[in-house]
Amino acid sequence: MIRLEGVSKIFKGDVTALREVSVEIQRGEFVFLVGPSGSGKSTFLRLLNREEVADTGRLMVAGKDIGGMRSWKVPYLRREIGYVFQDYKLLSRKTVYENVAFGLEVIGRPRSVIRKQVPFILELVGLTPKAERFPEELSGGEQQRVSIARAFVNRPLILLADEPTGNLDPSTSVGIMRLLDRINRSGTTVVMATHDRGIVDTMRRRVIELDRGVVVRDESRGVYE
Amino acid sequence: MYRLWYYLRETILSIWRNLSLTLAAILTVAVSLALVGASMMIREGAERATAQFQEGVEFIVFMNPDADADQDAAIRHVLDSSPAIEGYTYIDKAAAYDEFETLFSDKPELVESVTPDVMPPSYRIVPSDRSAPNVSELADQFSAQPGVREVATATEAIRQIDDFSQRVSQALLIAAVVLVAVSALLILNTVFTAIGARRQEIEVMKLVGASNWFIRIPFMLEGTIHGLIGAAMAIPALFVVDNEVMAFFQESDAVPLFRGFAVPDGFVWDTSIWLLILGGAVGMIGSAIAVTRYLDV
Repeated sequence: MIRLEGVSKIFKGDVTALREVSVEIQRGEFVFLVGPSGSGKSTFLRLLNREEVADTGRLMVAGKDIGGMRSWKVPYLRREIGYVFQDYKLLSRKTVYENVAFGLEVIGRPRSVIRKQVPFILELVGLTPKAERFPEELSGGEQQRVSIARAFVNRPLILLADEPTGNLDPSTSVGIMRLLDRINRSGTTVVMATHDRGIVDTMRRRVIELDRGVVVRDESRGVYE
Repeated sequence: MYRLWYYLRETILSIWRNLSLTLAAILTVAVSLALVGASMMIREGAERATAQFQEGVEFIVFMNPDADADQDAAIRHVLDSSPAIEGYTYIDKAAAYDEFETLFSDKPELVESVTPDVMPPSYRIVPSDRSAPNVSELADQFSAQPGVREVATATEAIRQIDDFSQRVSQALLIAAVVLVAVSALLILNTVFTAIGARRQEIEVMKLVGASNWFIRIPFMLEGTIHGLIGAAMAIPALFVVDNEVMAFFQESDAVPLFRGFAVPDGFVWDTSIWLLILGGAVGMIGSAIAVTRYLDV
């Protein structure tokens, strides 16, 4: 599903974000990306989404070589990838329902599909009663559920999550992780960058640790350490 | 269908949120295009008023319609051999009739009253020395020739009309070009502001995989609409120029030649269509620049 071969990314001013990273992630895996701030976790995720372009190496995502991908094809790649952020990135002028529907509207899905899919996903994330609320009326955990719903509503093959529990308290985080686990069990590959030791140690999934842009550990049922 | 509705809704919403800047852009387009149109009309009017005296032609020798071949050959021989003549064009009966027909296309009864047969053939002559005394001396010589019906010289009045209209239309055109550039910049800015107002949404759209054109089209549509509305507002100004300004000259007796200072019937509409095309293009180009520069998709 995801394969990096000798991928390096160097930013301006010779900051090396990733150095010769080679990783393979199978369909349906759940992977934690851990490491200190600035170790290259976010860059790793942004490369998969092609928000950044690798300087060297080969990068395959969802069966496509995205190294030399034309920019007009990038949106189609992103339709296969859901993306969840620490700060949710919800649109404040839209309701919960509209925020989720927006994810389908702007990729041209017909209205009949939207009317069927959105309530279904809202049910999945447990927000049906709050469909008509605005983001600012929700708790952090609920906002993150909306953001996950938006990322998942198009049934992507891959879900990338960058510190999704970073702003949440531990008990709310557990709820979010249950949701991500459920999504993973439905066959979606999940890659999650995190600082949350408790979550990583409880879930016991594959752990890839980055340090200054280098993969220093890759364990199939790892802990945070 | 749904997508069309989406583009329209987004565009109208964006214009509404950004109303003051939008109005400034539209009004600038309107003023600049009104000037472009006025300049085109004055140029056309002057060209028609002085149609026969273009490109250095200083006098015209009209032959009798029934002049014989020898008389014609004699004139031609003088024209070909005289060093005082730089060049000439021969307008035969058919060409004279065509020109008459075009000049008076809005007066069909006049056109019907003549046939090519009664039209006088003529020589439009460019002399080597264009000073007024020399031209009138040459004109006298030709009018004495057999077979010549009349010699018309470009009077001082014609030169003045030509000169005047050229200056006016050029000044208008320069002002118009500057204003068109200003309006393109204003549209660019308006669209830039609109992009800024929707930065969050655009970020999410990119994230979930909206195609580049899907993101761009509402903004480009917005710019194009500014241009089109501006152009539509400039069109009434063209009718004012035609009905008030040009009509004033036509009716004044001060300079008889100004009577021909008119544009043909369809010309105002033709110009209007050009303004719409130009307005749409300016809007599209302005917004395209904004979209490519500020919308990193």
